[in-house]
Amino acid sequence: MSVRVPSMSVLPPVRKDRVIAQLPQCYSKKAAVQTKDEFNSKVKTACQEQRTGTVGRFKIAKVIVVGDLAVGKTCLINRFCKDAFDKNYKATIGVDFEMERFEVLGVPFSLQLWDTAGQERFKCIASTYYRGAQTIVIVFDVNDVASLRHARQWLEDALKENDPTNVQLFLVGTKKDLSSPAQYSQIEQDAIKLAEEIKAEYWALSSLTGENVREFFFRVASLAFEVNVLAELEKSGSRHIGDVIKINSNSNNLYATSKKKQSNCCQ
Amino acid sequence: MALQGSEEIEEQLAEPEEIGDEDVSISPAEEITLNVGPGREEDTDSLLLPWDRFSAWLHCICVVGFDLELGQAVEVIYPHHSKLSEKEKTSICYLSFPDSNSGCLGDTQFCFRFRQASGRKSSLGCFLDQFDRDAPVCLKRDQGHYYGYVYFRQVRDKSLKRGYFQKSLVLISKLPYVMFFHSLLKLIAPEYFEKQEPCLEAACNDIDRWPTPHPGKILVLPIMGTVMKVRIPTCYDKPGTSQLVQSTQNDNLVSIILPTVHEVDLFTCFHPVFFHIQMLWELVLLGEALVVMAPSPAESSDTVLALVSCISPLRYCSDFRPYFTIHDSEFKEYTTRTQAPPSVILGVTNPFFAKTLQHWPHIIRIGDMKQAGETVKQMKVKKLKNLKTLDSKPGVYSAYKPFLNKDEDIIKQLQKGVQQKRPSAAQNAILRRYFLELTQSFIIPLERYVASLMPLQKNICPWKSPPQLRPFLQDVFMKTLEKAGPQLTSPLKGDWMGLYRQFLRCPNFDGWFRNRRREMMKKLEALHLEAVCEEDLQVRVQQHTEVETVDLVLKLKDKLTQAQREQLPLRPGTLTKLQAHIDSVILSLPDDLQGILHKPSTP
Repeated sequence: MSVRVPSMSVLPPVRKDRVIAQLPQCYSKKAAVQTKDEFNSKVKTACQEQRTGTVGRFKIAKVIVVGDLAVGKTCLINRFCKDAFDKNYKATIGVDFEMERFEVLGVPFSLQLWDTAGQERFKCIASTYYRGAQTIVIVFDVNDVASLRHARQWLEDALKENDPTNVQLFLVGTKKDLSSPAQYSQIEQDAIKLAEEIKAEYWALSSLTGENVREFFFRVASLAFEVNVLAELEKSGSRHIGDVIKINSNSNNLYATSKKKQSNCCQ
Repeated sequence: MALQGSEEIEEQLAEPEEIGDEDVSISPAEEITLNVGPGREEDTDSLLLPWDRFSAWLHCICVVGFDLELGQAVEVIYPHHSKLSEKEKTSICYLSFPDSNSGCLGDTQFCFRFRQASGRKSSLGCFLDQFDRDAPVCLKRDQGHYYGYVYFRQVRDKSLKRGYFQKSLVLISKLPYVMFFHSLLKLIAPEYFEKQEPCLEAACNDIDRWPTPHPGKILVLPIMGTVMKVRIPTCYDKPGTSQLVQSTQNDNLVSIILPTVHEVDLFTCFHPVFFHIQMLWELVLLGEALVVMAPSPAESSDTVLALVSCISPLRYCSDFRPYFTIHDSEFKEYTTRTQAPPSVILGVTNPFFAKTLQHWPHIIRIGDMKQAGETVKQMKVKKLKNLKTLDSKPGVYSAYKPFLNKDEDIIKQLQKGVQQKRPSAAQNAILRRYFLELTQSFIIPLERYVASLMPLQKNICPWKSPPQLRPFLQDVFMKTLEKAGPQLTSPLKGDWMGLYRQFLRCPNFDGWFRNRRREMMKKLEALHLEAVCEEDLQVRVQQHTEVETVDLVLKLKDKLTQAQREQLPLRPGTLTKLQAHIDSVILSLPDDLQGILHKPSTP
């Protein structure tokens, strides 16, 4: 049910394994942003009616990934974006960046993934990178209680630059493959408790084995998409999308019309 | 009398708009694999080492501060391994600060240009040349010069001994993308002044992950938590069209779309002197010595860049300095009174220049930009003898008599725009189009004549060297103007012949003609090679001795490497064909020779 816009010819089509047709489910109902089974019906209708102009206006979401040094932020992103896992540790300088393209309900949608450095040295510049984030992913290592303890601080820093009512939060435990079931269930309790408090959705995964990585990013993309479409629908109200585009294209032409046309354009 | 009808322009715009709307989602990784031109870039991109990507954009980033004992000093160079000679550092120091007491309080942005110290060669050279091939002449990497893009901050700070915080963040690059680097600085500099070096380190790291500056591609450039989206024009673009259209819907926090990397706002820059734009166009076209005296480096550099770009798509071939100071290493060379003023455009702010350059033939004096009302009334070109050293009125001082009659329409059109408060962007578009049409009207007869210097296809013989281009004969060219002159495309009357005669003597013609010649010779080589490929080599081999056949193989191999090195404009498939020819000729030789000739040729 994928629909492609013809004018996208400059772009390669969205990868087949980045097509989302169903709302991916949360990891644990105890700590989820929402627990519905399906996409919001208004969103579905808008996408079906091909009012992609609406969605198109906000088809990027900025996602920032924060958390302690060496909890595996870069590995998580690399596993998803490049399907690669590098066992050697290389500290991120400042920030890394990936863009990942999806197709949600037939509409193109992209995530800007900003992978920030966990090192203390770069904390002072982090706020620059946090600005305008729509999704904040706080990462901790399920084998490192301290990294979970620091999650709150990371959140606080990230929220300073953003409107708290307008962001979606995820608390993500990494390196699940390294922990025994007993150890894991212990830290999970604490993590879920924290997630509830800060109103974040909890996920546990492993970048080494790939367990839950794809599911997690699909969930992030879907929820961000849904919020964007809803916000846009609300904003545009009864206005027709076609009009919006038309007005815009006229005003663009105005700047480049030659002498002849100028008279009627600029009255 | 536009060269391109307005319908066509709209068409051009309508299409890119869709691109602008849809392609926001190209990731840097995918960007690399998007194809433009012959596909060897992919290999080179994967061979890039750390800092290579950075170097493709910038030479380095400098921080210039004020030390109470030393004066201006380069405090930091980033990345630390970047090389700058002492002379270059001195230039950067002086050029990164306002040189007169022009209370530039707050943040100011401007740009300068200085000579590169000789003898340094980048190992990246040939890799960078690849981008230049597709770039328009005005946007090619500046050989022999660096640009410095400055973000200067001067604010009161009682905690400092001097009472002021004064610092510049300067990007040093060979790329003339002034709008792009100014936007980049707007993102980096304020953060740097607040957060110091980790910020530079992170910014450089961001830049080192960028795709290389390839013309024609839509580049997605993440920096400091924002994504910049740009497209560097190619030489194949239709002049005057833009492929990326600014979208008002963009969330500035997440991404910034730059409609142009290099085009300054001509209208704003020329606003103080807009009655004289047509004369200024002539002066720039003819490479006349021109000085801009402005109250601040920002105004000086903007005006110089606007002057240089008003003859686009022609390249201004002489030296130009958007901001020039008395400390400049070329100060003596350019201000000497023993010779006629050189063919350069200088932008200055120091009042001292009013005296030093008093003898210059053309002086543009820009007053305080804020007195905008002034431009509404007509202004005459002022006599040079009226130029006082200090406190002269704004205006153009020159004894120059323009060759072309004044175009009152454009002035009226712009004036009307001012009255109606037409947005500056629209005024700029009108002015840019006007200059473009004027320059094209001027250059088309030259293009047409030069194209006729190309030998006929039938004279290209595969077994002789390619024929020579016919020489450029001024008289013959001037004769063509009678029938096919600028009168075909421009309503302007005047002494066009005189203008051409003068132009043919100036560096801009020389630069333009050399470039054309080089392109045509490449084309000739390409046609020759294609002709060779059409031949039946087997027949020829049978008619010749073994020695001659070996000679043929070697020559063809040479041709092949030359074609690849110089990237000749060949029909697709020609090189494969040539390689097949070489292989089949080799196969017709005895085994021992085959072994020797099959070895890959060493370049």
